[in-house]
Amino acid sequence: MIRFTTTHYVALVLVGLGVLAAFAGSPYQGTRYTVDAKELARVVEGEVDHVNPETLADWIIQGKADFRLIDLRTEPEFSAYHIPGAENVTLTALPEYGLTRNEKIVVYSEGGIHSAQAWFLLKAKGYRGVYMLRGGLEEWKDQVLFPTLAANPTPAQIVEFAKMKEVSKFFGGSPQAGGAAGQEAAIAPAMPKLEMPQSAQAPAGAPKKKKKEGC
Amino acid sequence: MNAPFFKFGLFGDNMSLVVAFLIGIGFGFFLERAGFGSAKKLTAQFYFTDMAVFKVMFSAVVTAMVGLFYLGWLGILDLSLVYLTPTFMMPQVAGGLVLGFGFVVGGYCPGTACVGAATGRIDAFVYLLGIIAGIAAFGEMFPLISGFYNATPMGQVTLPQLLNIPYGVVVFAVILMAVGGFAGATRVEKMMAKRKEVQPS
Repeated sequence: MIRFTTTHYVALVLVGLGVLAAFAGSPYQGTRYTVDAKELARVVEGEVDHVNPETLADWIIQGKADFRLIDLRTEPEFSAYHIPGAENVTLTALPEYGLTRNEKIVVYSEGGIHSAQAWFLLKAKGYRGVYMLRGGLEEWKDQVLFPTLAANPTPAQIVEFAKMKEVSKFFGGSPQAGGAAGQEAAIAPAMPKLEMPQSAQAPAGAPKKKKKEGC
Repeated sequence: MNAPFFKFGLFGDNMSLVVAFLIGIGFGFFLERAGFGSAKKLTAQFYFTDMAVFKVMFSAVVTAMVGLFYLGWLGILDLSLVYLTPTFMMPQVAGGLVLGFGFVVGGYCPGTACVGAATGRIDAFVYLLGIIAGIAAFGEMFPLISGFYNATPMGQVTLPQLLNIPYGVVVFAVILMAVGGFAGATRVEKMMAKRKEVQPS
């Protein structure tokens, strides 16, 4: 004859909870999200939802693997050129794509509209660390692939340009206007040299396969 | 408020350190209260005379598991935001064996050594020195073993995903394991106590 002690009761409750759990279904339904318009607006206003092209270039050069880079354009556009390490996911495929909510996600498109829409979509689904590439691929081209020196450069701008030239070379771009030729750059902007897709296809040394590791 | 609190921005990076500090203090306090600051209590586990370590570990597992499951199920906690350590099968098996070996030899595990040191136990301090030496040795050896260190990666997997069975069924199975383990452990303790009574005479 077993005398029932507290331990036995705890065990019974536990087993009961276990049986219940077996039929309860998935615990992964997540919390119910209400889109907090005010909070979203604050994030947008504070521009903390952006990643600068320079910052992203830095991350890639350093070989950081703690973020996922999502290219939202069509497949032909993607195969013509994409930022090294990017994954091609269209806007419609995005909700079902294998992203987890605890990842840092950077989205980009040609300009800024599609990435903004993707950003909102993911935010509304409760993804926390979603960022847009500021200015999209256009700004990536202007600032990283084909940086231009301003017309009347200040010393700080010249230093900055020298740095961006190196970054540009890493990604297979070509810096516009070297050193002193400030006026030239102002007259002839980056446009003519947009045959870059081929040359920038596979920049040397860029991390190809990402290893997903946490903190 | 939805959990996990940190991921939902209830507090920032700085505050998270304060929270971690408080949780650490609490963790250490209860380890000490359970007698885990003493190597005698801990090594008794390996002689099967006191199964407290086994019971504490398993109750922690079960408590966390049941808590996470039901909080997720109720929608209070977003399970997908809970960080999972990626699995590297072989290196982690090897690491587990090394840790277990050190536990048997030193009489502490890293956490309990800190608790023992906090109450001024000399053997715990020696153990901590061993930990630091081990960390340094590992760091120096890393280029040699980095291949194995990154071997057999499986990503962030959970048992329900791996076995392709519902989450709740795994919860139920682990609970059965725990209850069975507790009953077995208590029986073993009684057997060993009896043997001890017989031996001296």
